[in-house]
Amino acid sequence: MATTCACMSPARPPKSVAAIANLKKLCEKHLPGRYTIEVIDLMKDPALAQRDQIVAIPTLIRKLPEPLKRIIGDLSNADKVLVGLDIVPS
Amino acid sequence: MTGRPHDPLQPGPRSSDAEETVEAIQLGKVDAFVVHGPDGPQVVMLQGSDVPYRALVERINDGALTLAGDGTILYANSRLAALTGIDVANLVGRNFDTLFVDGAPDRGGQEPTDAQLHSKAGSLPVSVWMSSLVIGGVASTLATVTDLSATVRAQEVATAERFARSILEQATDAIIVLTQDGRVARASAVAEALAAVPPIGRTFSDAFPIVADDNRAGALARFRRESLDMLLATKPFHGVEVKLRVADQGQRSFLLSAGPLLNDDKKSIGSIVTLTEITERKRSEEQQTMLVAELNHRVKNILAIVQSVAMQTVRNAASLDAFGDTFSGRIKALAVAHDLLTQTRWYGIGLGELLAAITAPYRGAREDRIGIDGPPVMLPAQAVLPLSMVFHELATNASKYGALSNASGVVTLRWEATAAPERMLKLEWRESGGPAATAPGAGGFGTKLIRRVVQYDLDGTIDMAYGPEGACVALEFPLRPTGLSVESPPLVTAPS
Repeated sequence: MATTCACMSPARPPKSVAAIANLKKLCEKHLPGRYTIEVIDLMKDPALAQRDQIVAIPTLIRKLPEPLKRIIGDLSNADKVLVGLDIVPS
Repeated sequence: MTGRPHDPLQPGPRSSDAEETVEAIQLGKVDAFVVHGPDGPQVVMLQGSDVPYRALVERINDGALTLAGDGTILYANSRLAALTGIDVANLVGRNFDTLFVDGAPDRGGQEPTDAQLHSKAGSLPVSVWMSSLVIGGVASTLATVTDLSATVRAQEVATAERFARSILEQATDAIIVLTQDGRVARASAVAEALAAVPPIGRTFSDAFPIVADDNRAGALARFRRESLDMLLATKPFHGVEVKLRVADQGQRSFLLSAGPLLNDDKKSIGSIVTLTEITERKRSEEQQTMLVAELNHRVKNILAIVQSVAMQTVRNAASLDAFGDTFSGRIKALAVAHDLLTQTRWYGIGLGELLAAITAPYRGAREDRIGIDGPPVMLPAQAVLPLSMVFHELATNASKYGALSNASGVVTLRWEATAAPERMLKLEWRESGGPAATAPGAGGFGTKLIRRVVQYDLDGTIDMAYGPEGACVALEFPLRPTGLSVESPPLVTAPS
């Protein structure tokens, strides 16, 4: 499973930092060893937002498996994330 | 979010994504937005986006605050704290109304309103602007408080300046503002007109060359010009009489006064000098003095004449009755001439007018018995009394012995005046139709008086001829300038 989490660096805003942390925690718990996470910095390269149709930050984009899925926000609601990403809790 | 409309042919976020975005924003789970600007996508931070605005509000020179619907202060900047003298922590939670002397202006108005803000110094004139705003669904008010004290002070200064300028432009006295080193900083319109040179920036003595004019001005006269300038700039003077040399107008008289010019701290920063013109008053005083002297002189003269006439009349009178008639006639002639002179304020009389008045008693019923014919000539005052005495004597003689002694004789008076510079009057008294005239004896006072008066008082010559037709007397004397003179000549020299 590959995911993309859009956030900003080096001055990472709090919701983005929380989103990355929450995502990593979920993936380690439910998809250990079966995921890759790509964090892109839209402050550096806002054009990437257009490519991935990102309107708010942070936005989690699940690229694989298809279909592509998006979740906006800090991913603090684990159940909602699991449902959104079609992950069956382990 | 504002942004470029999405291209419908491109795959984009679903409507559920949009709803999710709005929900995430409402729940405060989003850091930033991506908006499509003219230069492509741009990231707009949500968290902390008000920081620059807060910094800006803290830096502005006006007080700024937000109010809850009931007027409670929710936020105030440090400038408002400075204006009110209440720190920010203590401002928050207060009611906005309590900051003002007469309560806060109506929050419904959109236009700035003037009000008096409580301050450390008492109160402060301010302008208050307020606008309604909804923050997080709650009705609030934004307000700014602008300190007007500098504006009010500037208006006061401008008003004072207009007032001072108006005084300087309209004052009838010359007003000059001097700096501490005696230079002219301001001058009224009248002062500028009096100045020998454009006065601004010049020393007072350069612009207004004065000559000390009375005893009290001794202090002014003693000083050199530089010292005088310093004196006027630093010492008060009241009503010192001075003369000012005014270009093209000679010397004019003024009362000079000077007083200190004080600043806000009551310290002298120069002086205000006023020059009140008294030239006319001085002229009037001088004329009055001269008139009194003239009057004294003339009274003495008249008394001397009366005394002389009385003595001579007595000496030549055959009887007391004869004395009475002759003396009375001579005094009347003097009185007539004196009346005429008084009517013209001693400025002189027309010759025809004088002759008509003197000879009037001798005409009787026939107006044409004494013909008077000549060009208009103004007699100087000094010539009036002597000439009236001369013609009184001629008319008296004619009525006693000449053309006026019978019913048919006539007298013709003619004259002419030569042109300037030395104007001479030639005057002829010609009798006809009366008995033949013979030269009077050497002892006759009338003839003696006539000769002496013409010679000494009129500075002229006389030719008296006597023939079968009657007497013919020709006078010639200079017409000297008219006007008052303290040194008028004696009218009648007592005959020896």
